Amino acid sequence: MAKWQDDLQFYTFHFMHYTDLPADQKKYDSLWVDYSNKNFDAKKGHAFYQRYMAEMVLADRLGYDGLALNEHHNTVYSLNPVVTLMAAALIPQTHNAKICVFGVPLNLEMPNRLAEAYAMLDVMSNGRLEIALPLGTGMEYWANSINPAVARARFREGLEVLLQAWTQDGPTSYDGEFYSYRYLNPWPRPMQKPHPKIAIVGTGSPETVQIAAERGFAYSSVFVPIVAQEKTFQKLRQEMPKYGHEFTPDKAIFNAIVYVAETDEIAERECKEHVQFFFEDATRTTARYLAPPGYISGEQLRMRAAATASHGGFDWEALTQQWRVVFGTPDKVANTLAKWCESANSSRVLVHHHIGNMPHWKVVKNMTLFAEEVIPRLRSKKKATAKESRVLAGAK
Amino acid sequence: MAVTWKSEELTVNGVKTQVLSAGKGDPLMFWHGAGTGGGWDFAAPWTEKFKVYIPYHPGWGGSADDTSMTTTQDFVMHYLELLDLMKLGKINLVGLSMGGWFASTFATQHSERLKKLVLVAPAGLRDKAHPTTDIFRIKPEELAPYLAENLAALGPPPDPHDLDFVVNSYREATSFARLAWERIYDVKLPKYLHRISVPTLFIWGKQDKIVPEAQSAVWTKLVKGSKLKTFSPAGHLVLNEKPEAVKAVRDFLAA
Repeated sequence: MAKWQDDLQFYTFHFMHYTDLPADQKKYDSLWVDYSNKNFDAKKGHAFYQRYMAEMVLADRLGYDGLALNEHHNTVYSLNPVVTLMAAALIPQTHNAKICVFGVPLNLEMPNRLAEAYAMLDVMSNGRLEIALPLGTGMEYWANSINPAVARARFREGLEVLLQAWTQDGPTSYDGEFYSYRYLNPWPRPMQKPHPKIAIVGTGSPETVQIAAERGFAYSSVFVPIVAQEKTFQKLRQEMPKYGHEFTPDKAIFNAIVYVAETDEIAERECKEHVQFFFEDATRTTARYLAPPGYISGEQLRMRAAATASHGGFDWEALTQQWRVVFGTPDKVANTLAKWCESANSSRVLVHHHIGNMPHWKVVKNMTLFAEEVIPRLRSKKKATAKESRVLAGAK
Repeated sequence: MAVTWKSEELTVNGVKTQVLSAGKGDPLMFWHGAGTGGGWDFAAPWTEKFKVYIPYHPGWGGSADDTSMTTTQDFVMHYLELLDLMKLGKINLVGLSMGGWFASTFATQHSERLKKLVLVAPAGLRDKAHPTTDIFRIKPEELAPYLAENLAALGPPPDPHDLDFVVNSYREATSFARLAWERIYDVKLPKYLHRISVPTLFIWGKQDKIVPEAQSAVWTKLVKGSKLKTFSPAGHLVLNEKPEAVKAVRDFLAA
């Protein structure tokens, strides 16, 4: 079985938050859905776009394997409500990195238009596109005109349309509950055949893991505690062969919040407030917005409610123990990541270099040190392991 | 006065349906609204003169979920089958809020199955001048004052940390979302309301903060010969708040 060291790749994941919040922002119980857009300043927005794009361009220069983007609506959390636009803007500014659109919530777009948009990006980038398909957070269903009670059924159907558009020569037709097409025949078609690599992205809900297993797709776990993530990947490894697909380590994609510095103390001092901002502010929303009616089952709601009842405020110790958050010297970060890749048997790491409201200089420092000091340490583990296995196999 | 309800389980076109009943006399069926938290004790005076039936809609109470129930027509067909199954020829029908939406739609198509109709603060009408409150926008902890003027009439407030209560409310909201997430009304309903051909009474709380009492003007104009009785001070759950409203329903149906 393939091991994680064989094909280890690092994508930098940029959420592109709008971090300029009013002094009284703590009074809002949610910075999603109903936090007023009167607080958006276009001049500041322009500066954020310029800066964030420059950070992604730097990541390409530094040799990152992928530049990952995602989409959210009605929120300071993301400046990418139309993430395909950001992907298109990055294509001519970058050369080698994959453009990873992780991604448009399938239910928020007509699936033929999504097939077209992704095909455009793939052809424009000469085959650098990789995609992940999210159901979308509960918050997206409060912000868009889509019924959350049918979200999962609609998602399955949208996926069928998308794959039919990419795997069958058109025109074909499609007759479903949510979509019907007389002439499904989108131009252009993707550069990569039959289509770019696809992941399902989610929190590990049984339905989304099941879809990935059935289709043999990768599963990109959003930021959830380590224990939950490992259970998700375990289920993926167990279920996938039942549908005739082979699990390979590139199909387990996980996120990590990482900060690299000269010493552990400097790293903690430089990153802590930004990690805190991420958890306390950027992601702050209400239980009601997280779970609109019908978005999850009653039993899942019960599990979630029971789990959150025991949580308090920001707890740095618990965070670094229970979540994939690591800060420190290149050695410490490399060793921790190696351990995580090993236990999840994952060869795809989505690294958050820009954390919360981090200033540009720290992002550049973090991204550069990670590329120059952490990645080589992890890649050398691959060489050592390969050499060991040749020795074990009796080769020269 | 507490009523002792008999509970039966019927299978209606494959869907397990719980029906409560109590009392003696002519059949009176009550179709509940999108929330069932208030209980049914208010109906006690009806059981003195009628055999009262309270079925739970699919997706509520002891009835099973049916994810295919996405339009009022699905509920109309469900109840047509239920009446046949229960061998109930003609009934008195009382619908509250969402139940009033179902009942008015049912009556536009099947008045021959009804003796009389009572619509209590019915949902389902689009009145742009007096819009129905979008209950999906109301935070659960802020809901109670929308429902009643006299909160004591609703009984002790539910404990928001009671997981069974939270999960049950979520299930009811999910069932309602299947029907009404996009629109909490049926734009075509006014076009067909003239088809209701049985004596019809509207009951409304003057201070209704969910379905404004002002909508009654549109309803009474479209349902020929219908009457209106309002109660004050009373909110959306006027039957829980005002025993006089319950008695008015009884008297209208018994007359």
